[in-house]
Amino acid sequence: MKLAVFWGCRILTSQYAYEMSTRQVLPQFGVELVDLRENHCCGNVVESVNRSASIYMAARVLALANETSLKDLLVPCSRCHFTLSETQRLLAADKKLEEKVTALLDEEKLAYSSDIKVWHIVDFLHDTVGVDKIREKVKISLKGFRFASHIGCQAVRPSYMKRVDGPENPQKLDRLIEALGAESVEYNEKLDCCGAALMLSHPEAGLSLTGSKLKALQELKLDGLVDSCPAGHMMFDTKQEEATAIIGSKLSMPVFYYTQLLGLAMQIETKELGLQLNKSPIEKISEKIANVDG
Amino acid sequence: MSLTDLTLMAKPNGELYKKVLGKLAKTELLECFQCSKCTGGCTAFKLLELIPHEIIKLVKLGFIENLIESGIIWTCVSCLQCTERCPQRASPYHVITSLRNIAVERQAKVPEAYLKAVSQILETGLMQPIEKVTTKKMETVDREKLNLPKIKYPSEEFKAIFLKALEGI
Repeated sequence: MKLAVFWGCRILTSQYAYEMSTRQVLPQFGVELVDLRENHCCGNVVESVNRSASIYMAARVLALANETSLKDLLVPCSRCHFTLSETQRLLAADKKLEEKVTALLDEEKLAYSSDIKVWHIVDFLHDTVGVDKIREKVKISLKGFRFASHIGCQAVRPSYMKRVDGPENPQKLDRLIEALGAESVEYNEKLDCCGAALMLSHPEAGLSLTGSKLKALQELKLDGLVDSCPAGHMMFDTKQEEATAIIGSKLSMPVFYYTQLLGLAMQIETKELGLQLNKSPIEKISEKIANVDG
Repeated sequence: MSLTDLTLMAKPNGELYKKVLGKLAKTELLECFQCSKCTGGCTAFKLLELIPHEIIKLVKLGFIENLIESGIIWTCVSCLQCTERCPQRASPYHVITSLRNIAVERQAKVPEAYLKAVSQILETGLMQPIEKVTTKKMETVDREKLNLPKIKYPSEEFKAIFLKALEGI
């Protein structure tokens, strides 16, 4: 199937491994990704400055998706996914707002359509591809490996609109980890926030959130943390060292994007999955996986 | 100074209260009855003493100027727990967002990073510049080296309309 894709700023400008691994794994399931004509901020960060401008931006992304004439849009970033979904909800509930936004889009001959389905990696893989298909594609079973999942706050809340998974006990990412043969460990801090949004105003507080979640996870003797959000990954992986300095205790937790772990289990080359870009200590685990007898 | 202390010396501002209401969608009405479930789930409460149910109460009382000046509205981590947990479908997250918008309009204390993100968007369409990253072997790489396609930036038209949208829809 063809799937339009909107990456969002963070993936395009810094979290390259998420884009690389997504572009690698999805075609293996017969999915062809179709990039939008243009890329711009979804409006998430602008919401704090000017909410209506952020709604316009999100609506423009949906209009660009509409232009592809595909009805399904993949949005791998949890924050973008939230902003686009919320804009759909707001425009559906407020005709006047929809008219104003439509008029702005019309200046460029863009047309908003309310029937674009916004998918995240997690629900797309879980609901559309399905865990059975994923299990079939696994060449290296991760049996005996123990991981924990972090799906990202904005992917699961608020539940009064369509979200990727349930707000209090999300399970889809865990099922996806299990499809690779690994164990997904439940833990008390599962819903705790990564702190990324605070990097704009209170970076030390943000990093202390990152650090305390990682510290709690470390006690579970895991092979790694698996995430599916570029903001979360930026905190847990890219900024793990900074978080160590803030909380004053040694953090050493391998952190993978789910798409990277899936790629490893499918025997895709580590370089193609962007694993050379992970800052957390993943080598031992990725080597261990590569050396498992198929 | 706590928020409660603020109310002792503050004057309510009905105009600003209407302004907050004007920025909220229908579903985010302030039908809060102070059960404080939002605060119970608030990530920033534990860390930075953000008290969402107090924010709602202060807004309803009209103490909006004080909230904007206090800087407390910039401690929200946008985890959306408050919105999720509210039995009244109020949304402290969205109320805080509206307060942030008003803080920007009134040129109150706004963390620079937010304004920087907006000017970056006006420049390239994206909220941050492209980063070169280093691999584990200390090799500096960019999108091209990683075999990622070139970024397709938005047209000048987008920027012009975005600017217009910033001035108000």
